[in-house]
Amino acid sequence: MLKSINLVAVFFFLLPGLSLAQQKKHITISGTIKDKATGETLPGATVSFLQLLGVGVSANSYGFYSVSVPEGSYTLLATYTGYSTETLHIELKANLQQNISLEASSNQLKEVKISSSNSSRSNNILVSPVGAQKLTVSDIRNVPVLLGEKDILKTIQLLPGIVAAGDGKSGFFVRGGDADQNLILLDEATVYNASHLLGFFSVFNSDAIKDIQIYKSGMPADYGGRLSSVEDIHMNDGNNRKFGMSGGIGLIASRLTVEGPLFDHKGSFIVSARRTYADLFTKLVPDTNVKKTVLYFYDFNLKGNYQVNKNNRIFLSGYFGKDYLQIRNADGINYGNSTATFRWNHIFNNNLFSNTSLIYNNFNYNTTYKSNINNITVASAITDYHIKQDFSYYLNSTNKLDVGLESIFHLTQPGAAVTSQTSKYNSVVLQKKYSLESAAYVSHEWTATDKLKITYGLRVSDLAVLGPGNFYTYDAAGGITSNNYYSGGKIVKNYINPEPRFAASYQLNDSSSIKLSYDRNVQNIHLLNNSTATSPTNVYLPSSNVVKPEIADQVAMGYYRTFHQNGIEFSSEIYYKTLQNQIDYKNGANLVGNENVEADLLFGTGRAYGWETYIKKKYGRLTGWISYTLSKSERKINGINNNNYYPASQDQTHHLSVVGLYQASKKWTFSADFVYSTGSPITWPDGKFPVDGSPVYDYGNRNSQRLSSYNRLDLGATLTVKKTRKVESSWNFSIYNVYGQSNPYTIVFQADPANMNKTQVQQTTLFKMVPSVTYNFKF
Amino acid sequence: MKNIPAFLIVFTIIITFSACTKTITPSLNNSTRLVIEGAVSDTAGPYHVSISKTANFYSDNVYPAVSGATVVITDVTTNITDVLTEAAQGDYVTHAIVGKPGDTYQMKVMLDGKTYTATSTMPNPVLLDSVTVDYEVSNNIRPTANYQDPANQKNYYKYSMQKNGIHVNHFQTFDDRLSNGRYIRDNLDCDTGTFHHGDMVKVSLVGLDAGAFNFLKEAEDVAYNNSNLVAPATPTSNITGGCIGYFSAQTVSSKTTVIKHF
Repeated sequence: MLKSINLVAVFFFLLPGLSLAQQKKHITISGTIKDKATGETLPGATVSFLQLLGVGVSANSYGFYSVSVPEGSYTLLATYTGYSTETLHIELKANLQQNISLEASSNQLKEVKISSSNSSRSNNILVSPVGAQKLTVSDIRNVPVLLGEKDILKTIQLLPGIVAAGDGKSGFFVRGGDADQNLILLDEATVYNASHLLGFFSVFNSDAIKDIQIYKSGMPADYGGRLSSVEDIHMNDGNNRKFGMSGGIGLIASRLTVEGPLFDHKGSFIVSARRTYADLFTKLVPDTNVKKTVLYFYDFNLKGNYQVNKNNRIFLSGYFGKDYLQIRNADGINYGNSTATFRWNHIFNNNLFSNTSLIYNNFNYNTTYKSNINNITVASAITDYHIKQDFSYYLNSTNKLDVGLESIFHLTQPGAAVTSQTSKYNSVVLQKKYSLESAAYVSHEWTATDKLKITYGLRVSDLAVLGPGNFYTYDAAGGITSNNYYSGGKIVKNYINPEPRFAASYQLNDSSSIKLSYDRNVQNIHLLNNSTATSPTNVYLPSSNVVKPEIADQVAMGYYRTFHQNGIEFSSEIYYKTLQNQIDYKNGANLVGNENVEADLLFGTGRAYGWETYIKKKYGRLTGWISYTLSKSERKINGINNNNYYPASQDQTHHLSVVGLYQASKKWTFSADFVYSTGSPITWPDGKFPVDGSPVYDYGNRNSQRLSSYNRLDLGATLTVKKTRKVESSWNFSIYNVYGQSNPYTIVFQADPANMNKTQVQQTTLFKMVPSVTYNFKF
Repeated sequence: MKNIPAFLIVFTIIITFSACTKTITPSLNNSTRLVIEGAVSDTAGPYHVSISKTANFYSDNVYPAVSGATVVITDVTTNITDVLTEAAQGDYVTHAIVGKPGDTYQMKVMLDGKTYTATSTMPNPVLLDSVTVDYEVSNNIRPTANYQDPANQKNYYKYSMQKNGIHVNHFQTFDDRLSNGRYIRDNLDCDTGTFHHGDMVKVSLVGLDAGAFNFLKEAEDVAYNNSNLVAPATPTSNITGGCIGYFSAQTVSSKTTVIKHF
């Protein structure tokens, strides 16, 4: 540890814009910002001083803040969205450790009347990096969603620049990137597949979640590994004041959460569980095909934390979830994520905060094919062992330094097939893949003037492709040109990539700012999928001697403005992004059970650009937001469309979301959301020809046609039956796709069953008006 | 895994009674491209090469025949050349050539000043052991092809079927990439309700070379599984010169059975 501190010191002198000599007599005030009632830390809460314009810090993801100011007496303001501002009068003569508790404003209506000055309402939008956005679970509570399961990952798909993959499909696209280019973290652990039931729900049980921090650009240097975005999701720590229970009973799933203090309120725990019971209904259906269908998932979130002493706190958090799907006695799949994170927060002194994390995560997927003669089970998995060390040095009120190191050992098991004796397939175990992904970063947050804030940094990432295994090279036709065996631990290939990050915000006045960012991101784990079905049997492939790291460079700019004492936020952002080493597939590529899958890949580049506007009303009876995105995303792959740029599958020219919440009375809250987007590009036949008498289709250029536009309106209502300090209960009613719009799920070109001399197009829509009701309780 | 969409549709129906399917008619482009389908086999000739044009998706499955081409097939191994004659519009037939496993055949089509060529090597024959019937799903009775895949070579197969002497318009491919040396029992997909009690079914196991197989496998995906493909594309032809289709020197082994189901 001491060595690391020396390292930190070395970095200080290396960094420009930083001069230790300039320091006057400064006093440091630091501490943790918490919720008064539950003891939950409040990451992102801000601390400012009435007497010092432009001095302000936000708490880090553990709720820790530290700020150094000249000696004197101050009025400290601590603010956080959805909480009443806490005002403290402090006399600063010596360094001070000051924990702050904020009270949730139970009624946002009331807050409107109380607040008179700007400072009592957070205006994070003016200083956070361009493309950054934060949502707490209370923000999403009343937004109507499919089947009433409030879902933070579904709700962010209503924000600008984030587009859902479609009904019944997991994944989402950020600023024209692919679904596998989003870094989804749950308490720092990577979640490879964030969907339950192949996309109906996300794996994040909102009862266990505190908030989500999203970066579409301007990623801080401590994040890396994916090209498009970061979704950093924090789990609740658990109430350390009193025991509580909460839950919900819905049409298809039920949830239960238990939380409470541990070790004489020095720690707390939370356990959340959820299970669907769709399979109970299937048993009631007389049709034997349906009766024998297995469809359910369950998940657990667990977290505990313990404040060892004033300067040390440890956290242990975990997630475990599993999905089972099987039709009749035929094909079936089961898949699940598990994560575990151990973290140690250590406060060296008022200025230096450290966090050490040990992280494990695993995603495994198993497929079974069953018939009277063929029995096959294919098991695949990706496992990460991850260690991470971060330091935050709060040098003074205008300089903060973040330094860190991390290392992830990726173990990929692309597929091990076990077949029955009568099966037509051989048992086969594909070679495991090993790689070590490491990174070091340094980032300097510099408040240059009371108006200008600059954060710049460098992340250097390295991927070492490791043996043991055979490593092949291929010619253009996919033929093997060489095969080399590397023994265990031998480095086959090393990819070192510097990733510069830069973000600046300039506050034009009290209510408006402009921001600029540039960032480079590098991705070394690639998801191969040439099927529209969001199948968990997709192949995860680390960068190798053949597959190079994907690289994205993005420049983004924005204008931000608040109105009505920060009650309304407006933002308008533009971005331009270039992508290198993007992956596509040859015709007829075999992704499953293929040791030489790399021979079936094509590589190319991409570009994406767009304009996003967002307006949000944060207070009052009526709250909500409107977001609109105008964008383009294109790919240029060697061997596709004569090597010309063509629209990427996720290219949606226009995308509009409108979310409205209306608190009609103490009992009733109504909500609505509307989504419209241009149809996605798709490849359809230009004609047909016979093969053995069957019509087969002739296709033109890739993605040269478009689906019809996607649109839908959802409505919701929440009836609060009881709300006291001790007990809360409510009914939530929602209707998804109220006017029954036929949005396509699949489109099939096929022989017309009624006239074998014709062909026809069949469209299947998954959700045409889905009502639901959920009962939620808390005591 | 072809069943993934089915999972979701079943699930949605159960949960929401909401999934629905309808026929739509999006506007499509109309291409006119040349299609050549030719084969030489180890069964008795004459062998056929058919030349046609693609049809519009919404028209009948009638493909405009192309007349007036010069079609030549050469056994490259024995150096015997056969100039085909146009027996019917777009249907060109051989006269002398006899298919033999191990021989390489070249097809040359000359039309409107352009030349289209393909070569294909006839693999060693793999014999169909027997045809059985899978009665497990009562409304979808399927024949099963049973045969031993030879371990000493790469094998590529296509199945075709006749019901009571009439060709069933459904083809299926299989290769031993994951099955080398295995005893194969493969169910033959067909439209629901194709076979009933008393039907006589003839199954042919067709041995292919890699080029013809790749075309047919991609064609099978496009014909029966196109909604699952992110980027469906016209199957890659093993004929050079810029046309659709394939030329295959192939072996054929057939067996017959009768559906007995009450």
